[in-house]
Amino acid sequence: MKLLKAVIALSVTLILVIVLNSKLGDIPPLGKFLDPFHGFWQNAEPRDLGKNQELRINGLKGKVEIRFDDQMIPHIFAENDHDLFLAQGYITAKDRLWQMDFQTRFAAGRLSEVIGDKAIELDKYQRRMGMPFGAENMVKAMQKDPQMLAVMQAYADGVNAYINSLNPSDYPIEFKILNYKPEEWKIINSAFLLKLMSATLSGGSNEFYMNNILSEYGPEVVKNLFPDYPYREDPIIPAGTKWNFKPVEIPQPPALLANTGGMNILTKEKVEGIGSNNWAVSGAKSATGFPMLANDPHLELSLPSIWYQIQLAGDVSNVYGVSLPGAPGVIIGFNKDVAWGVTNVDADVLDWYKVRFKDETKKEYWYNNTWHKVKQRIETIKIRGGGLVTDTVYYTHHGPVVYLEGQKPANFAKVNNIPTGHALRWVAHDPSNEFRAIYQLNHSKNYDDYRSAIKYFNAPAQNFIFASAGNDIAITPNGYFPLKYKDQGKFILDGSLPANDWHGRIPAAHNPTVKNPARGFVSSANQSSTDQTYPYYINWEFADYERGHRINKRLTAMSKASVDSMRSLQNDNYSMLAENIKLDLIRTVKQESLNASQKEALKIVSEWNNAYDSGEMGASIFEIWRKLVEKNIWDDEFTKDDRPMRYPSRDRMVEMLLNEPDARWYDNINTASKETKTDIIQLSFVAAVDSLQDKYGSISDRWEWGNVKHSHVPHLAKIGGFGSKFINNGGSKASVNAMSETNGPSWRMVIQLGKNVKGYGVFPGGESGNPGSFYYDDMIDTWSSGKLNELLFLRSKAEQSKRIRTTWSLSSK
Amino acid sequence: MFLIFLIIIVSLILQLFLPWWIIALIAFPLAFWKARSAGHAFGSGFIAIFLLWVVMGLFKSFPNEHLLANRVGEMFMLPPGSSNWIFMLLATGIVGGLVGGISALAGFMAGNAFKSRQGLKGA
Repeated sequence: MKLLKAVIALSVTLILVIVLNSKLGDIPPLGKFLDPFHGFWQNAEPRDLGKNQELRINGLKGKVEIRFDDQMIPHIFAENDHDLFLAQGYITAKDRLWQMDFQTRFAAGRLSEVIGDKAIELDKYQRRMGMPFGAENMVKAMQKDPQMLAVMQAYADGVNAYINSLNPSDYPIEFKILNYKPEEWKIINSAFLLKLMSATLSGGSNEFYMNNILSEYGPEVVKNLFPDYPYREDPIIPAGTKWNFKPVEIPQPPALLANTGGMNILTKEKVEGIGSNNWAVSGAKSATGFPMLANDPHLELSLPSIWYQIQLAGDVSNVYGVSLPGAPGVIIGFNKDVAWGVTNVDADVLDWYKVRFKDETKKEYWYNNTWHKVKQRIETIKIRGGGLVTDTVYYTHHGPVVYLEGQKPANFAKVNNIPTGHALRWVAHDPSNEFRAIYQLNHSKNYDDYRSAIKYFNAPAQNFIFASAGNDIAITPNGYFPLKYKDQGKFILDGSLPANDWHGRIPAAHNPTVKNPARGFVSSANQSSTDQTYPYYINWEFADYERGHRINKRLTAMSKASVDSMRSLQNDNYSMLAENIKLDLIRTVKQESLNASQKEALKIVSEWNNAYDSGEMGASIFEIWRKLVEKNIWDDEFTKDDRPMRYPSRDRMVEMLLNEPDARWYDNINTASKETKTDIIQLSFVAAVDSLQDKYGSISDRWEWGNVKHSHVPHLAKIGGFGSKFINNGGSKASVNAMSETNGPSWRMVIQLGKNVKGYGVFPGGESGNPGSFYYDDMIDTWSSGKLNELLFLRSKAEQSKRIRTTWSLSSK
Repeated sequence: MFLIFLIIIVSLILQLFLPWWIIALIAFPLAFWKARSAGHAFGSGFIAIFLLWVVMGLFKSFPNEHLLANRVGEMFMLPPGSSNWIFMLLATGIVGGLVGGISALAGFMAGNAFKSRQGLKGA
């Protein structure tokens, strides 16, 4: 009896220990996680950064000093490039290891290894899109460049030196929650991060929608509603700039444009808000007589922060700016001579080709009047717990046939984007060496260095802006732009015709560029790269002109500009869209048929100053109203379950509202009566006020834009409690301060060049990736209030600063 | 009291090097050896680990101003709040305490069975 009791008690103990040591569903292993000796309590960091330290790190050639300032930003001083990038890898891993691990797993299609079979379709999707294929090609290109290979390897060695120094109790908290271990860092991981940027910035396409619209309404409507150049534009390269090159021969379209037919597919529409602003003003326009440069890249915000601030001082270079956790160098930043920044170019670098296979075996496909061999790539996905899934992807010379008939999983929104049986031609698959561009920019001293650096940057294409202490400013929409016939890739292409292939690239030297234009500034906000005189085709549609135009208008008016004028422009909430259509909308409303609160709402909009400031109720009413107008005009004609399409651009709608009061598109074809422009605007207004009332009650401060927009910064893996609190700020997609719910300026930077360069910047987060650190989100309040921090740029190792909190000295074992 | 003290000291030292479940392997033999009754065994194991884990948690959490414990509380579905850390601390103490208590109880019972067998043999 006693024995039985003992056996039972022992079994209960054993079971309890096993249960508390296992991850159950999404719940972390409780015993392991709560154990204060190894679990999450160990990730609770004090505010104080601690005493100076001496660290021994294998592989260092000389001595390295890392100083941490009051925001825990590292300033690295090394005696050579190798040690510099090794230290960058080490220190970035110290602050961002889990983010680096998770993002590369996501990009590589390896999430199932850590979160189990619920990620299988996502993993398959990434692999079928050719993410590993592209990353492998990038590594091959880097292997031909020994200098860059050494940089990448030093960075990886640094990351691994940090990983190898860890005990399980030191692992970032997310490893403990998801219950897995960090693994060795490889060079290809850095390539994956760049591919992820390409996927975010140039991974969408409209071809299917456009094909369906063509089938539904014919070429006249397409030409009318989806024109090849917008109604209003203010291009990046100032209109009228002369092209100082003789264009190469433009390819011809195939004789008969093959209609590949409408299909039941949705592509990922380009998400608005993933865009950015940058500008530089010449010395003639600035208070100091030297140029200034500003940049704010807009991205889907997350914590840990997308960017990592760092100062990298080696034997020949000394640069400050933001890096991508997981990649060497500074992506956006400055040194004592130059500053640079980027915004996305909405270039057409992703096309779909219809594939005709010979038979069910899919061993051959039809191209150039003969059968060609299909290549197979086997993808092997490991699953947490021991499973293994293999997936065969077929490649034509264009690229992967992302999904074959019957392969698309149901209930997985991402793949609705993809046309069955089509090959993907995407610039992100091609060999390239973008990190050399970054490396050379970091070392640049003048305009010529900038020009020779950016030619290595293929994808994702960026508007590289530049300013120098030598009083030059410049901008170059830059990347690998395929040489195409006009509108090639506006629709799905017939993959059997050689004429539809990409015909090499637009020569890099012919990429649009402008240096020191007469107007005294350069700028970009994702709008059209050029006016219509540019001889090559880059895309038929870019982001709307509103942000770009507002920037240009304000810069034109500026003289004796200061850092604060730049900062104020970055935080400009004024909406060109509201300026363009608000009056027309208000005049159209029939006031006599409104009730009391609708009348009051109309009064609020009328008196509103068109700025999406956080305290403005007019902004809330207008924003919902104009979105409903758009929906009520287009939805009846352009939303069909069996034939997915997209709406015409906002620019086209504005043109129609202002100039075409009798357009056929106002009528709702689903009603017996015939609606006019007035009807649509009226009913949209009433619905907008109703929806605000439903959600926020009668008119009160709850209607204010900051509350309605309700911005916040979520955690990268959406772990509850690890995101930011509610952020009450202003901004809109058509404002320079392009802030929406969770999308907006991921880094704001202003650089004043001159004899003593000064930098200012802030991002919505902090240096640490640890939710248990005071430096996880310490910059958010500064960011949301529109202020900038002065960046601590130490001119040399000898320069001291009161802002330095602690110093680490690193040397080899 | 002596048993509690013993479990705390041995656990504190070994937990610095070994995974969390070592507490079960500590409470078991110590209770086998020293526990006087089932209640004494469970109570001592529970209180010892509860105290050890709570104090250690506080040691890490106070300099952190409970920033992380409050966030982790939210992860466990508590509403956002600045006193979530108290809940996390109690949860930590109870989970650790349960493992300590039950393994001590098992140790006591094993001891009982062993000793009565010894007794049988002797008779």
